[in-house]
Amino acid sequence: MDFVGAYAPAHLKFLLEGFVVTLEVAFLSIFFSFLIGIVIGVLRYSRIPFLSPVLAVGVETIRNLPLLLIIFFTYFALPEVGFKLDKFYAAILALVIFESAMLSEIVRSGLNSIEKGQIEAARSSGLTYTQTLWHIVLPQALRRMVPPIVGQFISLLKDTSLAVVIALPELMNHAQIINGQNVNYVIPIFLLVAVMYFVVNYSLSLVSRKLEHKHI
Amino acid sequence: MIQVTNLKKSYGSLQVLKGIDVHIHEKEVVVVIGPSGSGKSTFLRCLNMLEDFDEGDIVVDGFYLKDPKTDLNKVREEVGMVFQRFNLFPHMTVLDNITLAPMKVRKWSKEKATEKAMQLLAKVGLQDKAHVYPDSLSGGQAQRVAIARALAMEPKVMLFDEPTSALDPEMVGEVLAVMKQLAKEGMTMVVVTHEMGFAREVGDRVLFMDGGVIVEEGTPQQIFDAPQHERTKSFLSKVL
Repeated sequence: MDFVGAYAPAHLKFLLEGFVVTLEVAFLSIFFSFLIGIVIGVLRYSRIPFLSPVLAVGVETIRNLPLLLIIFFTYFALPEVGFKLDKFYAAILALVIFESAMLSEIVRSGLNSIEKGQIEAARSSGLTYTQTLWHIVLPQALRRMVPPIVGQFISLLKDTSLAVVIALPELMNHAQIINGQNVNYVIPIFLLVAVMYFVVNYSLSLVSRKLEHKHI
Repeated sequence: MIQVTNLKKSYGSLQVLKGIDVHIHEKEVVVVIGPSGSGKSTFLRCLNMLEDFDEGDIVVDGFYLKDPKTDLNKVREEVGMVFQRFNLFPHMTVLDNITLAPMKVRKWSKEKATEKAMQLLAKVGLQDKAHVYPDSLSGGQAQRVAIARALAMEPKVMLFDEPTSALDPEMVGEVLAVMKQLAKEGMTMVVVTHEMGFAREVGDRVLFMDGGVIVEEGTPQQIFDAPQHERTKSFLSKVL
């Protein structure tokens, strides 16, 4: 084990660059999959004829595929039909497709968990369906959804490492490149990489715990 | 105010309402009593279409509920409802619970809605609770807030679905007192309840329901002192 050699400034800088890509991919994917997940979850909850069943089929299909396959699909298969994406965007697209499906299920079950009486009280006072959804159901459901949604964000951040298969220059990819130079770097580098993932993900869980106890 | 004709409703093969005919007049307090499963709550919930019905007609304030052209939200603006389980919105303060519908549905300004809400909170004796969240209220307080919330829309009719059934006994009185006051002020009310004392004292008319039909109706004196039907007699002998 060569901690001194492994943690040379150039290596640390290289790892950090990789981590920035990891975080960029993760946060862009989180942002878009959160929006799309809410929209799909609400549309399925609202039981719109035709649309809701179609979305159900789509969500179920994606949820039952490995993320790795979806990454291969967006990077290797889409170009075959004339839709070529840069690694960075191919990874984001794959993560957004996969995580939107997962998040939409969290949103849908969160909405379903709101008591019928809440909806009846709102509707009986003349609020429309949309007003009831917006002012009564969503705010309460979102608060309940915070822990599973943050859990999903955390797995998303970890899943960005799967993009190593398309050589996206993220944290794991850079770690592997450094490790390739000297086998004595492997343990120190993986330890550092573990710490980097842990710090960000654990901070996310702490934020989630804070939010849970707040009146939103 | 409300005209119900031959109202029928089934859940699958179980018919819960088997033809209800009743006319509720303006400023009348109609109390609906009967055993559990008699269809009285379902009947009440049909009056603002929280439950759809299969046959018959309900006309509320001139609106035919079954007419596809009827905007149910417009009907519900005029029909307040109070539930057994209060159903206050837990993520909003008491004040926001009360001002929500007036602001979103009646399009009142925040000032106007707040002023009205504070008047109503004073009326139910809870001005000091305006800025707390519902989870810090007792059952009786929560139900009084729920009544204030329904009144904030200035409805023409108030529906009460077993408003005291989920309350500890010592809190029943404070809720009934508010309802009594409301009746005195001339509110049109339909009340499903097990509070026979309230029915006798406040009701203008009592409907006794069993098995999805109105078995007997009349003034409280007629129903409680001289019931005609065997089922009415046996029910009252158990609850009085």
